[in-house]
Amino acid sequence: MHRKLLVATIAAGALLLAGCSSSTDDAATETATETVAEETAVEEEAVVAEDAAATVTADDSNCAAPENYCIGLVTDTGKIDDKSFNQAAWEGTLLAAEKLGAFTKYVETTDPKDYANNIAQFASKDYDTIVTVGFLMAEATTAAAAEYPNVNFIGVDQFQGAPIPNVAGLVFAEDKAGYAAGYLAGLMTKTNKIGSALGTDTVPPVKLFGEGFKKGALDANPEAEVTLVYHEPNNAFNDPEWGAAESRKQLDQGADVIFAAGGNTGNGGLIEIAKDPGAGTTVFCIGVDIDQYFTVPQAQKCLLTSAEKKLVAGTEELVLLSADGALPAGNFFGQTGIAPYHDTEAAVPADVQAKMVEILEGLQAGTIDTGCPACLDN
Amino acid sequence: MNARWAYILGGFIVAGIIVSYVMDANRTESVLSFSLRYAVPLILAAMVGIVCERSGVINIGIEGQMLMSAFAGFFGAALTGNLIAGAMIGVGTGMIMGAFLAVGSVTWKMDQIIAGTIINILATGLTSFFYAQGYVLPGVMPTVAVPLLKDIPLLGPVLFNNGLYTYAAILIAVILWVLLFKTIWGLRTRSVGEKPSASDTSGINVPRTRFINVTLAGGIAGLAGAYLAIEAAGTFERGFTAGRGFTALAIMIFGAWNPLGAMFAAIFFGLTQGVASQLQSDAVFEIPPQFVNMLPYVLTIVLLAAVSGRVSPPAAVGKPYEKD
Repeated sequence: MHRKLLVATIAAGALLLAGCSSSTDDAATETATETVAEETAVEEEAVVAEDAAATVTADDSNCAAPENYCIGLVTDTGKIDDKSFNQAAWEGTLLAAEKLGAFTKYVETTDPKDYANNIAQFASKDYDTIVTVGFLMAEATTAAAAEYPNVNFIGVDQFQGAPIPNVAGLVFAEDKAGYAAGYLAGLMTKTNKIGSALGTDTVPPVKLFGEGFKKGALDANPEAEVTLVYHEPNNAFNDPEWGAAESRKQLDQGADVIFAAGGNTGNGGLIEIAKDPGAGTTVFCIGVDIDQYFTVPQAQKCLLTSAEKKLVAGTEELVLLSADGALPAGNFFGQTGIAPYHDTEAAVPADVQAKMVEILEGLQAGTIDTGCPACLDN
Repeated sequence: MNARWAYILGGFIVAGIIVSYVMDANRTESVLSFSLRYAVPLILAAMVGIVCERSGVINIGIEGQMLMSAFAGFFGAALTGNLIAGAMIGVGTGMIMGAFLAVGSVTWKMDQIIAGTIINILATGLTSFFYAQGYVLPGVMPTVAVPLLKDIPLLGPVLFNNGLYTYAAILIAVILWVLLFKTIWGLRTRSVGEKPSASDTSGINVPRTRFINVTLAGGIAGLAGAYLAIEAAGTFERGFTAGRGFTALAIMIFGAWNPLGAMFAAIFFGLTQGVASQLQSDAVFEIPPQFVNMLPYVLTIVLLAAVSGRVSPPAAVGKPYEKD
C-alpha cells in the first residue's frame, strides 16, 4: 500500500510542479509583481512631477475620473525586462505616460491561460488604455475589447483581421526590415554568398523577413547568391541546434553574411556564427525583431545589425493617439529599420553606412519595392 | 533491419556520396558534417533506449532526461565557469533521472510508460520554472582534429575533425555493441530483457540488473543533453531538445535495437535532413520548403515499412518482473 501511495504522491507532485512551472501562484506572484511595478511607476512619476505636468495621476484608485489617466500593460509570458518585446513595449508606454502625466502599471503573465484575467485586472478598474504584448494574446485582447467597450486596447504585434473600434494592432512591415538588412548584407559580402537560417515559412512574418532580405541583397548586389533555408513547421522557433548546424553548413559553403531569424532557432545560428574565427572581420551575422546585441550577448562579435521592428516608438505613438481619443482602429504600421552596428561599426565602410541611410529613407517613404506582400505567394 | 536491405541501401548511399563528392567536394563535405552533427544527439539518445529496452524497461522519458541534463549542464557550466564541470553535472543529472525511472519502473513496478511520462512532464516543468535569462557559457568546446586521419579526402574533414562529444557518441555506440553481444554483462542484460524468469532461475538478480542498466543509460542521456547545450547550440532554452528524444526511439527501432544499427540509422536520418536543407538552399527545383522538410520523415517511414515485421523488440520489454 505504501508503495502505491508513494507512486501516486510522486505522480501528483510532478503534475503539480509542471502546472506551477508555467503558471501562477496568482496571489503570491502577482502581488509581488505589482509591488515592483508600482515602485517603477512611482519613480517614473517623480520624473514627471519635475516636468510640472499639472495633472499627474498618482494611483489607479479612481481611473474612471476624467482628469485621471491610467495605462496598464500585460506582458506575454516572460519578464518585463526581457530585453525583447515586453521591455520595448513597456519603455514605449513609459515614454508616453511621461508626456501624459499618466499612471502606469504592468502585470507579468506567467501562463497563457491567465491572459484574460490579467487584462481584466486593469479593465475592471476602468483603466483608459491597456497594452497587451505579443501575437499570442490577440484572441484574449479581442475578447476583452468586446467586454470592456470603453477601454482602448493596443495589441503589440497583433494583426487585426476585421477592425474593432477600440483595438489598435501595432504591426510591422517585416519585408521592409528584411529588405534593409538584406541590402546591407549585399553591400558587405566579399564572397558573394549570403545565407540564412529562418523559422518556418508557414508563418507569414518570417517569410516576409526572408523574401524581403533576399530582394534587398540582390538589389544591392546582383552578383550575390542568396539562400533561404526554413526550418520545418514543427518546433520552428525553438530549435537553436538546427539554427546553429544550418549556419555552420552555410559558412562551410562560403557564405559570409547570414541572416538568422526565428526566435531561439535563429539565436542558435547567431551564437554559432560568433564562434567562427572570422566573426566580426570576415564573417557576419544579422539578427531579427529587436536589437539582438542585447538579447543574445554571445553573438555581439559577429552581429552586424538586426532587422528591427521599432517597438518602443510604435507603442509610444499608439498610446499617445489613444489618449488623444484618436485610436486608429485596425492595423497600425510601426516603423521598421536596422539596429545600430555596435561592435562591428568599424567593419562597415562609411559609404555603406551612408547608402544604408538612403535605403532606410526610401523604405520609409515607400519608394522602394520590396516585392512583398506579393512575395507571400511564391 | 534486414541485413541484405541494409547493405543495398548503404551501397546506394555511399555511391551517391562519392558521385556528389566528385562533383562538388566542399558542398558534399559540409552537408555530411551537418548530417553527422544532426545525428550525434540522436545516436546517444538511441543508445539510452537500447540499453533500457534490452534490459526490459521502456524509456519514453529520454526527452525529459536530456532536457533536464541540458539544463543542469548549461547552468552548471555557466555558474562554475568550467565546461567540463558542466558536462559532468549534465551526466550526473542524467543518471539521477535514470535512477528515477529505475525506482519507478523496477523498484515500484509502476507502469513504465507512466514513469517515463512523469519524467517528461517533470523535466519540462522544472526547467521552465527555474530557467533564467542572461547566462552565458564560459567558453567554446575545442574541435579536435585526429592527426593523419584528418587528411583523408572526404572522410577526414567530416569524421576526424570534430568536438569530443562526436567522438564519444561513435565510441559509445561501438563499445555498447561489443558489450551487448560479446560480454557476460551483455548476455545477462539481453536475457533479462527477453526472458527474466529464466535469468532469475539461473541466478541473475533481475531487478538489480535492470536498475543498474537504466541508471547508467540515464548517464548517456545526460551526455546527449550536455552535448546539445554546451557544444552544439551553446545555449539552453525552454524545451529546446525539440523532440529529439522521441525521434531517437524511432531510430532505435529502425536500428533493430542494435547499437551499430541505430548509429547508422541516426546518421541516415541526419543525412536525409542534410540533403533536405541543401535542396532548399540550392533551390534547384522549385519545391516548396514544407515539402522538402517533410522528406526525411517520409523516407524514414517508407524504409521502416519496407523492413518492418523483420524486427521485434526484446520479448519482456515493458513488463515489470514479478517472481512467480
